[in-house]
Amino acid sequence: MVKRYTSMAYKNADDMIFGTAVHPVKAELGLEVGAGYVTAEVNYAPRPEAGVSKEKLISEYRKLTTDILARAVQIGFPAVSLETEHVEQMTNNPTWGGEIAHVQKTILEEYHEEYGIKCGLRHTPGDIREDRDLLALIGGKYDKLMESFEAVADGGADFLSIETMGGKEILDYSILRNDVPGMIYAIGCLGGIDMEMIWTDIKKIADKKGRIAAGDTDCAQANTAMFIAGGLLDKNLAHTLAILARVLAGSRTLVGYEAGAQGPGKDCGYENTIIKAITGCPIAQEGKTATCAHADVMGNLTMQVCDLWSNESVEYHGEFGGTSVQCWSQTLNMDAALMNTAIQTGNAKVLRDMMCLSDKYRDPQGYILAYDNAFKVGQAIVKDGNDLYLRAKNAVVETIKILEASKKEGKLLMSRFEQNALADAKAAVEALTNESDSFMSDSLAKYKAEEPRFKPEANYKF
Amino acid sequence: MDIDPTKILVRYNVQKEKAQSPEQMATEMFPKAEPARSVAKAIFEGEEDDVIEALEKAIENGANPIALIDDVLMPGMKIVTDLYDQGVIFLPNVMMAADAMLEGIEYCKETAGTSPKPKGTVVCHVAEGDVHDIGKTIVAALLRAAGFTVVDLGRDVPVDEVIAAVKKESPMMLTGTALMTTTMYAFKEINDRLLEAGIKIPFQCGGGAVNQDFVASYELGIYGEEAADAPKMASAILAGKGLAQLKDQFHKH
Repeated sequence: MVKRYTSMAYKNADDMIFGTAVHPVKAELGLEVGAGYVTAEVNYAPRPEAGVSKEKLISEYRKLTTDILARAVQIGFPAVSLETEHVEQMTNNPTWGGEIAHVQKTILEEYHEEYGIKCGLRHTPGDIREDRDLLALIGGKYDKLMESFEAVADGGADFLSIETMGGKEILDYSILRNDVPGMIYAIGCLGGIDMEMIWTDIKKIADKKGRIAAGDTDCAQANTAMFIAGGLLDKNLAHTLAILARVLAGSRTLVGYEAGAQGPGKDCGYENTIIKAITGCPIAQEGKTATCAHADVMGNLTMQVCDLWSNESVEYHGEFGGTSVQCWSQTLNMDAALMNTAIQTGNAKVLRDMMCLSDKYRDPQGYILAYDNAFKVGQAIVKDGNDLYLRAKNAVVETIKILEASKKEGKLLMSRFEQNALADAKAAVEALTNESDSFMSDSLAKYKAEEPRFKPEANYKF
Repeated sequence: MDIDPTKILVRYNVQKEKAQSPEQMATEMFPKAEPARSVAKAIFEGEEDDVIEALEKAIENGANPIALIDDVLMPGMKIVTDLYDQGVIFLPNVMMAADAMLEGIEYCKETAGTSPKPKGTVVCHVAEGDVHDIGKTIVAALLRAAGFTVVDLGRDVPVDEVIAAVKKESPMMLTGTALMTTTMYAFKEINDRLLEAGIKIPFQCGGGAVNQDFVASYELGIYGEEAADAPKMASAILAGKGLAQLKDQFHKH
């Protein structure tokens, strides 16, 4: 059994600030996260042709790691953290991921020893728990995934993370049908059940190996919703529904911390402001520096309370200013330097509020993820923290309430589409039961009948 | 601290919103005659039961079930896809409308005991090693909504299987989606294997990490930036456009 959060780590939203967390964590090579300063977390992907063999992949990661560290000392940055999100070969062959972690850590050690630069390394095995057509969350692939965590921990990864996919088969079905109860079931309930299982085991590995179980992200679901929603003029999903998926992710990603994760939370978890408010754990975030990977409507706002500042992912290749990882790591580090200057000069809250306000009214997603509103969503989650269904539903209800209340202020303009989608969501949620057991059994019956890819007994032990 | 956001950003979606609601615009587009009007309305609302009920009534009154597909169901769906293309309605509305229309088509086929002449077949797949398939699901739904027959090979599809399916189905177009840079490399291999076999069909590629530069690097590749490009591309092929013209039309960057 995990220990559920039923209270907030911060008393007030205004107490949250970038670079400082209630519970900082320390990596092996001097880097502390959430201990009073912000650090860049550089993310990258190998070139497509590097995936053909282990040797080519190792060579690719050796080159890009060296590039990042070389640029960091050239420009004079005091710290840097790296994140390696596995390509599937690295997780399916656990020794590959382990060897790459070792190669990277060795380079970090050399730079740390020579220059004193503080370094961290996160490895994020891919969630390989799938067969050709179906999720296979439990069984042989689960065991292989745990082997991968063991291997990267042995290789030297400080922070262990993953982007799990529990509930995705129902989310993919429901999000394309404006089905908000289905989203609650997929993200809040099924996602939460899977998170509890996997993070309990990741925590055991982290403890055994002396590493840090860092945290998850609802990339598979809430980011799917955010990407489908797209820009202001895209018509694939109302942004008011995308933010409902996101706040549900707040309830779901929290389960990792309830199972023992300590942060830094994963960069693409845009739900992380909610997570930090509840847990007090440090978080990574991405925004304007992730435009190399995707476009979204929050560029500055996501920096508001970050502890690591990331670029999501960039393919390793040449740019005019060096290799891509050098260019992006320099940009990240310069942002970190600005935030650290604000901290040192006593202007952190001013900068936080400026970054937040520059995006807050751009879109319903930014409005809810602004730290003051995200804090309120966190409070709604912990109010029924012991019940995965009720707390997920609370998050949705609170979000709808905040968005409706915004109309009085008049600063967040919503299109008729967005308002209609919100009204439909409200009607759907108001019709829901307050009894978890009946919601779970009704949903089970409904989605077993409607979605043939849903295998509840095999994947969620129902 | 607070701001006047109008000096910082522009909500172009609010500014550009049409004066009429989607329902008002759709109502103006519905055919005047029955049963086309009732069927079109039921498709727009995504109400399968109402679609079937209207079709039942029409068949009882002597309508030919196969003719109803071309004359009633497809035009009804076209109203929905036109409104989507104009940015008036959202994708979930299209998905639900397509579900309702496809159920209507199945009902007509079962009732008639025959099938209409297909408009064209498209084979869809997700690259080998890649399990992210929501983009492919959307592509397949939009193609079906536009009246094309879709052979959906699913996700994580080995190259051999794609080639075998193309040989078997002789499609007018092949689509491939991939989220990851490492998996999209399979597209190049498929291109080479198709050319080796003497098959020169447009191969629409898109998704997460896929970009136009990569797709343009192989002969059959046509970059599909958005899922909604798939039915447009299939229609352009039907209209006689070849690879060079398709690249010209869809390679926007």
